[in-house]
Amino acid sequence: MKKKLNLAPALFVGPHLILFLVFILIPTIYGIYASFTQWNLAGSPNWVGFANYKTILFDSDSTFHMQFFNGLKNTLLFVLFTVPPLIVLPLMIAVALSHKKLKGKTFIQSVLYLPGLISISAAALIFTLIFNKQLGVTSNVFGSALAWTTHQPYAWITIIVLTIWGGIGGNMIIYRASISGVAEELYESAELDGAGPIRRFFSITLPSINFPLIYTFVMTTAGAFNVFGQPLMMTDGGPQQSTSVLMMYIRQLAFGSGESIAGMASAMAVLLGLVILVISALQYYVMNRNSN
Amino acid sequence: MKRKLGALATSVALAATVLAGCGSSNANDPNTITFWTPLTGEDGAYMDNLVKQYNDTDPAVKVKHVVTADMYTKVSTVLSSGKGIPDLTIIHADRVPGYVKQNRLESMDAVMQAQPELKEDNFLPQAWGAGNIDGTQYAIPLDIHSNVMYYNKELVSKYGADSFLEDDNVTIDEMLSLEGKLDEGHYVVNDALIGWVILGQIQNLGGDIQKDGQPDLNTDVMKQAILDVKKLNDAGLMTPFGEDGYLMFQGGNVLFSTDGTWSSTAHATVENLDFGVTNVYSASPDKFTNRASSHMLAMFNNEQRTDEKEQGIAAFLEFLRSNSVEWAKAGQIPASKDVVESPEYQQYMQSFFTSTEKETESLYIYDYEYYSYVAEAVDKYAIDLIRGNIDIDEGLQAMQQEVADKIGQASGGAAAGE
Amino acid sequence: MSNQVMDLDKTAMATGRKRSKISISQIIAYVFLGLLCLIWIVPVVFGITTSFRSQTEVVSTGFRLLPVTWITDNYTAILQNTSTAPIMRWLMNSIIIATSHTLLVVVVISLTGYGYARMNFRGRNALFFALLGISFFPAVVNLIPSYKIIDALGWVNTSWAMIIPGLAGMGNIFLVRQFMLAIPKDLDESAKVDGASHFRIYFSIMLPLIKPVLIVCALFSFTGSWNDFLWPVIVYTDVDKMPVTAGLLLLQDIYGNYRMIGQLMGSAILAIIPTLTLFLFAQKYFVQSINLNSGIKG
Repeated sequence: MKKKLNLAPALFVGPHLILFLVFILIPTIYGIYASFTQWNLAGSPNWVGFANYKTILFDSDSTFHMQFFNGLKNTLLFVLFTVPPLIVLPLMIAVALSHKKLKGKTFIQSVLYLPGLISISAAALIFTLIFNKQLGVTSNVFGSALAWTTHQPYAWITIIVLTIWGGIGGNMIIYRASISGVAEELYESAELDGAGPIRRFFSITLPSINFPLIYTFVMTTAGAFNVFGQPLMMTDGGPQQSTSVLMMYIRQLAFGSGESIAGMASAMAVLLGLVILVISALQYYVMNRNSN
Repeated sequence: MKRKLGALATSVALAATVLAGCGSSNANDPNTITFWTPLTGEDGAYMDNLVKQYNDTDPAVKVKHVVTADMYTKVSTVLSSGKGIPDLTIIHADRVPGYVKQNRLESMDAVMQAQPELKEDNFLPQAWGAGNIDGTQYAIPLDIHSNVMYYNKELVSKYGADSFLEDDNVTIDEMLSLEGKLDEGHYVVNDALIGWVILGQIQNLGGDIQKDGQPDLNTDVMKQAILDVKKLNDAGLMTPFGEDGYLMFQGGNVLFSTDGTWSSTAHATVENLDFGVTNVYSASPDKFTNRASSHMLAMFNNEQRTDEKEQGIAAFLEFLRSNSVEWAKAGQIPASKDVVESPEYQQYMQSFFTSTEKETESLYIYDYEYYSYVAEAVDKYAIDLIRGNIDIDEGLQAMQQEVADKIGQASGGAAAGE
Repeated sequence: MSNQVMDLDKTAMATGRKRSKISISQIIAYVFLGLLCLIWIVPVVFGITTSFRSQTEVVSTGFRLLPVTWITDNYTAILQNTSTAPIMRWLMNSIIIATSHTLLVVVVISLTGYGYARMNFRGRNALFFALLGISFFPAVVNLIPSYKIIDALGWVNTSWAMIIPGLAGMGNIFLVRQFMLAIPKDLDESAKVDGASHFRIYFSIMLPLIKPVLIVCALFSFTGSWNDFLWPVIVYTDVDKMPVTAGLLLLQDIYGNYRMIGQLMGSAILAIIPTLTLFLFAQKYFVQSINLNSGIKG
């Protein structure tokens, strides 16, 4: 009896556990190990203890210290600028789309989802041309005299616009699927009780999609912490490294030109991982508690 | 549902069989030279042609050309695993000292013995020299690709700048003389490849980026080089900060474009763009420098590379030496003297850079071991310094610091085993 | 009346009359969505039309949404280059890879999600969150060990390297688990009382209920596998075996710039046709209304 109880879960979660072990856990442990070494990727790592962490966190003269804190600051800004719209906008769209009498839902949905399918380099190129002063919209249509990608706050705006344009599709369809699962009767009875649309949204829709909401919030945030493509291609981190996110520094150390500085890059990646971990745990804890 | 899942499982199994069918190809096939290059884009197609022409000569060992995006990362992965190391690889000149120091490259001695024409006298000296470390030849050059300056013929004559070109040395002072004379929306020069331009100015001013093997960036020469170029910006002659200077040149709004040899093919696709090529502008009336690099053929250490393969590689390199005029189509300057002296090559625009001895000497390849770090730092800070966005002394200090810190972390750096 | 589910309309609340309330909320939904669509579609149209522009036109000053002269040269150039950039072949490879990966993902995540959401075993939540937490570590230098593992398995330069490792991901499992947690416990409790095994409950109760979310996950997996470009560049050496996103990187010049802008746009547009088709097909299903509470009431 006892054995049977232990076996069934193993059959369900076991296969994935093996995959996880091989393709995520082992490489991650190796990555953490590498953060305690000096390593050029090709050779064998050279153990240096906590030296990388000490340099990054405490050696204020070091380039790596500057890069880590500047990168982290810019990454946090990116998270703050993009995560709220990436949650709220798709939710509003999904709610609007659930309006029964609305026509052309499939078309609207496809248009909003489409940008997410375009490869990041092509998407960035489209926006580079659009924001380009000579060739694009900003000067020719709006008469703006500045090159947007090299002047703040416009540089951030170009990055945010590209991110939101390409990023709302995923959360939108999660909310669509979730809201469609909410029982019709709940709304009907609420309406009989005289609840208006706003109240119905807050008292029925939101609680019903609470779990998917936690998911999108946590995952969108974690994804935003890992960003590098949009700033790399729109502004190349400029002007004056004000849009250089941490992942850009990490990638340049590990895969830039010249000999790889992978040990230092690993240490930065581990620290970034810890930040993501703490923030997503907080998000999960707070949202989950509120739901109970 | 069960039935659907069954169908699903079957299709997965089916797909799996199909995939297994196209199993892994053996990188160590004794009858094929695996040849990795980072030549993405058009360049790869020209190299493909060359490889195909070689294979059509029915050599003992054929060559398989593999173009790789992000090649250096990929090289790291195979070096790390020790398997699948390519037989022959094109690497950039700046990478040679680093790989040699890490003991990753095999010497070309055996290859040079097999094909006696693969020798110093037959190649442009700076390209050959870039493959030579402490007397041993580790790489044989395919080409020189350089920073050059394109000019829009129509605009140059419109603004009477033809005289600038006469001595093949457009000076910054000459450019500055156009201040206030240009129509709105026209610019004298763009900021494409500006890092390379700065590295060229350093040579013009008689400086260097290193001193006794240590990086030396926070110098008066570097400061002078940046301030000279900055004059163009301050006079409003440079394309505005953040504009794509490359596209603006193609759009016919810029007189001079500092770009690479390879861009001539793309410029040629733009109708109504009548352009020529000359040396990158200089602060000095006596000297001009075109900062260059070279695609070099090298062999990563690999015990499985047989002697027959090395013979095959030698034969292929000799073929490239004699036939690389095809490579000129990609806009590059072949490193083989036979080719650059051939009449056929003279039709290519870039033949300008080997037309006189002085021109050939202007192609400068940095051989500093940590050049890549230097170039990365210069690229990162130069533009903000020229645009006056950061204080020049702070910028130079940060550049120097960044390179020194990176060297400290590289293998063999000071911090090792701390 | 009951058709009106909800809206974002504040003014609708204020007005008492129901007829105008419906139309106002509807109008607001239309205006909101219409405006968004307009903003969203302009860059897409611009991208598509750019693929029909010559380089001469791309670099000429002034913004034009539509090309002055439409040319198809970019597409001819893309399709004719079958040696260094065989895009049709890449598309085929991508379809095989993404389809196999997606089918396997659906099996793995539904089983695993069920395990973590509906089964009881010691340390269940601790294990789940430990795995989730580990998966949050940025996989940057993990490239080298990952490559070595793939190499040890003999999967370098094969599609397995693209299909299998992604199955270990936690994102979709997290989503499935979240959806399953929202399903009332009574459903499977009563089935258990009737003597149903976990597999029975998984097959006949859970799978139908979570079908919309599985379709969403399938869509994500397909798109994710399709758009992955960092990993395939490392594991493939054979240009003929590459998936399309990795292949497109070969169109950049050596300094990472796209000099032929029209051609890049054309290739990017060809590359989204399959994923877009899948989305158009799938979107019918993920909004299928499934009443999670029917179990209680029935």
